[in-house]
Parts: sequence; C-alpha cells; structure tokens
Amino acid sequence: MVHSKKFLSISKLMLSAVLLACSALAQAAAPADPFGSVMWQAMVDRYFTGGDVVFDQRVKVIAPYSAENQMHVPITVDATGLENVKQIVAVADLNPIQHVLTVRPKQALSFIGFRLKLQQSSPIHVGVQTEDGTWHMGGALIDAAGGGCTAPAAAHGTSNWMQTLGETRALVRRDSKGDARMTVRMRHPMDTGLAAGIPVFYMNKMVVKDEAGGVIAELDLFEPVSENPTITLKPAVGSSASQLAVSTRDTEGNEFSFPLSVPAVTTQ
Amino acid sequence: MTIDSQQRRALLKVLGAGCGCCICGAAGARLLEYPLHATEIASKTWAVHGELSHFNLENGGNIVNVAFIEVPDGVVVIDTGPSKRYGQALLTLIEKTVPGRPVLRVYNTHHHPDHCFGNQVFDQSLIAAPQGVIDNINLDGNGFADNMYRLVGDWMRGTAPVAPGVALEAGKEEIGGRQFSLFYLSGHTSADFVVRDDTTGVVFSGDLAFLFRAPTTPHADIATWQGAINELSGLDKDLILPGHGPADKRGESLVQTSDYLAWLEDTLTGAVDSGLTMNEAMQLPIPDGFSSLSVVREEFERSVVHLYPALEDQLMPLIDVTR
Repeated sequence: MVHSKKFLSISKLMLSAVLLACSALAQAAAPADPFGSVMWQAMVDRYFTGGDVVFDQRVKVIAPYSAENQMHVPITVDATGLENVKQIVAVADLNPIQHVLTVRPKQALSFIGFRLKLQQSSPIHVGVQTEDGTWHMGGALIDAAGGGCTAPAAAHGTSNWMQTLGETRALVRRDSKGDARMTVRMRHPMDTGLAAGIPVFYMNKMVVKDEAGGVIAELDLFEPVSENPTITLKPAVGSSASQLAVSTRDTEGNEFSFPLSVPAVTTQ
Repeated sequence: MTIDSQQRRALLKVLGAGCGCCICGAAGARLLEYPLHATEIASKTWAVHGELSHFNLENGGNIVNVAFIEVPDGVVVIDTGPSKRYGQALLTLIEKTVPGRPVLRVYNTHHHPDHCFGNQVFDQSLIAAPQGVIDNINLDGNGFADNMYRLVGDWMRGTAPVAPGVALEAGKEEIGGRQFSLFYLSGHTSADFVVRDDTTGVVFSGDLAFLFRAPTTPHADIATWQGAINELSGLDKDLILPGHGPADKRGESLVQTSDYLAWLEDTLTGAVDSGLTMNEAMQLPIPDGFSSLSVVREEFERSVVHLYPALEDQLMPLIDVTR
C-alpha cells in the first residue's frame, strides 16, 4: 500500500513536471495566431521547428481575400525586409496536404510568387527562417469554395498531356529598381493523389543556378502547388547581362532543364 | 455568498450575449423577400433592376436586370434572376403589373446564375435560348448552384438549375403578336444572346453591356466581346437595357464596357510582360475614368485571376527544354 501510494505520487509529480515542460515549450514555440487557425499549433510542431516563432510585419504575404479559382490561388511572399534568410516555408493549414513549398533563396531576394490549390477556406502561414533559427511568420486568410485538392487536373481532360509535360514558358525582366525577376511556367498536372484514380505525380524540385554553377535558389515543391506551376523569383545577379540555368525534377524522375538570359539593367 | 466583480462581469456578459441572441433570432427568422420593383423603361416594357453589387447574404443575389414586356397576347420575360424565390417574386410582380396576362416566352441571355436561376418557376417549354446557352447551363449549372448556396445562403432554398426547353436558331421570332430580332453573339461567355423588341426598339443586351458597374470576366474572351459590342453599336435601336445598370438611351453602356475591357486587356498585358505576379497586378491603380464604377476593385482582382493564365501562355516565350 505504502509503496504503491508513494509510486503514485512520484509518477503524479513526474507527469505534472512533463506537462509543465510541454506547455512551457508549446507557449514558447507558438505565439497567438492572428489568423485564429485551429491547426496553428500543429503547423508549428510540424513545419516551424528549431527556433523561436514570431509574427513579423516584414513577412508580407499578399493573397486575395477570396479565391476566385480554388485550383489557382495566387500568393506572393515578400520578405526582402529581412536579412540572412535561410528558407521560406508556406503551408495551407486546412488543406489535406498542408506543405505547399519551401524555398532556399541562396543568391536570390527573399521573394516568391506562386499559385496553390485550396481544398476549402483556409489560413495560409508563411514562415521565413533566418540564420539564427528564428521563424518570422506572416500569413493570410483566404475564403474559398471547395474541391481544389481532390479535383482532377485540367490536363486530364486532354489526351496529349504526356506530350506537353515539361513544356516551359519563361520571362526574365528588370523591374524599376533594376532587380531581375524571372517567371517560369511549366506544364505539369501536379497530381495530389487525392483525385479518384489518379496517382500522385508532381514536380518536386527546382534549382536555379548562375553561370558559374552557384546556386541562386532551391525549391522543394509539394502537391498543393497548382497545375502548370508558375513561379516568380528575384535572382540577385548584379546589373550586367547573365545566364541562368534552371533544372527541375518530378516524382517520377523526369528531369527538365533550360537556360534563361537575364538582360542587363538599362540606363534611362 | 458574494459575487466578486469578475464573476459579475462574466454574468453580465452571458446575459448580454443572451439578449443579443434574441434580437439575432428575430432578425434571422424574418421572411426573405426580394424587394422587386418594375420600372417602365419603354412603352409596356418594364425593367426590374438589381443592386450594382456582388452576391451577398443581404441581397440574395439580386444584382441583375430582368425585364418583361406586355405584347398583344401576353407577356415576354427576359432573364429570370438568381433563385427560385426571385422567380416567384418576379411572377408576382408581373401579375401585379399586367394582371391576367399569360407568360408566352422566357428568354435567357446567357448561363450565369444571376440571369437564369429563376427558370424553375416557368414552364420549361416556354424558356428559350441558343443551344450554346443551354449547353453552358447543363455544364456549369450545378457548380454555380453550389457556389450560390455558399454565397447567399437561404435565399437559394429549393433552387436548382433548369436549362431552356427551346433551342433557338432563327434570326426573328414572333411572340404573341410582337416581332423580336434575335442575335447570337459571344465574348462575355461562349454564348451570349441578345434580343431586340422590333416595335419599341429596346435591345436587351444581357451582360455584353454593363453601365456604372464593372464588367465581370469569368468566362470572357475580350477580343470576341469587343467584336460583339461593335456589332451592337451598329444595331438599329432606341434603348439598351444592359445586364447590370440603368437603361441606356445613348449607348453609353457599350462605350463604357468597351473602354473598360480595352483598359483591362492593356493593363494585364503590360503586367504579364513586366513579370508581375498576379498579386502585384491586383494592386495596380485603377484610372479615374473607371474608379467610380461599382465594385471595380473587386472585379479587377477577379479578372486578374480569370485572364492572366491565357495571357501568360500568349506572351511568355516558349523555351527549349532539355529532358
């Protein structure tokens, strides 16, 4: 009796200590979410680990209030106000697959434009991790009708989508500040595996390098990225003309690579 | 036992919330009724104007122009509104305005839900449109219905899409002793149908023309739409009833719609060519000439999503890919 009672009280103590430690950790990891997401804690635990998490105005997430087309919801992330950025991670909290993409902008500005599929109205969280490990968070709430992730890609309505797989359009421009910006648009169904009878098949890697082979940006793409991924990046390549090399790979091992010319900054 | 101030506050909160709910409950229980009003825009021709707004829970989707005409033997109806409930209110309004006159023909100008979701209350064999409109309702109707229930809620109760029972091909049709000219156009959607009452000279343009409200583009082909506006401009007419906005004697709706579409196309072409993301394009300024149009910022943002992908495929060069 005595033993078991003692054991009980010790285990009680240990349990409360563990609980205390957990809640302390959780509090440190997840500040209150301004978007009120029920999945916020889970998003932090799964995707934003290894450093403090703070909401930061310098992470600008531009998104429409309402998704006009839930298969193609445009998002632009501008974290150029932050320095020493290691990676940018975007998640859609209420999607069946939350992780949309990760960008490591090695020699690029902390900026990305992309489009995602939304299964329903959802908060979007974007974490920008700096070298010290801190996650600087931004986000948006997007209203949407249903069905983005479980609907088949438009490509499956055509018979020749296998022939056009990897067909690429691209544009490199200098903006008014002289920054280079590249947009690539590649044909790919980006199948999530959640539409009936269509297995998972998506482009999961993109790497942009400079002429010397130095990495400008690395992207890990996931199922929620929209069909025919359209990605805008800002390579930090100086003001003279140069060449970029882009290579991509999908989950079936198809590899596509192509060069892109960056025009010189024109003096006006 | 005493109640401390914190408990008292909590109690007051509960009571307050309770009171709020009573009011809410009473408001929620009110009967949803469309405040439809018939405006005589030409001899024996009435327009039923909706708000120059978006679908919402307050307006029940009543954002559209519907019309009816008293012809010698009965009534001709052009478009039927956003829901079954609207259709019923429209029938009541017609009966009040022209008592005892049978509906002989119902035209659908195109397949968008605000224009044809009142079809249910009419005899399907009287509802007429080009085959393209019928096909579009059959293709998109259920999807539209899902979205309309989400956007306007209970106003939609019992509404289901009904496609016209009559596929039109002729250039003219006589209904109840009145001749109508029928025009088979496209651009706002893949099938836009325009009706002219040859006696009064009123042209019912559907959504090929908007006035004082920004045009919508979810199924638009801008070049084709401009062609259709051109055709309507050359048409012999005395008055246009646009799909949205007031009746128009001077063709202002055609000019305004055409100018807006030209600006939209130029602006988005420039945005794609500069490599702007869709979100950046959505933030571009709207010039003074259009900034007073109702819901123009919202419609511009929607149009970016509608029109960008095709412009990207058109303007971004193909790149040789090594695989």
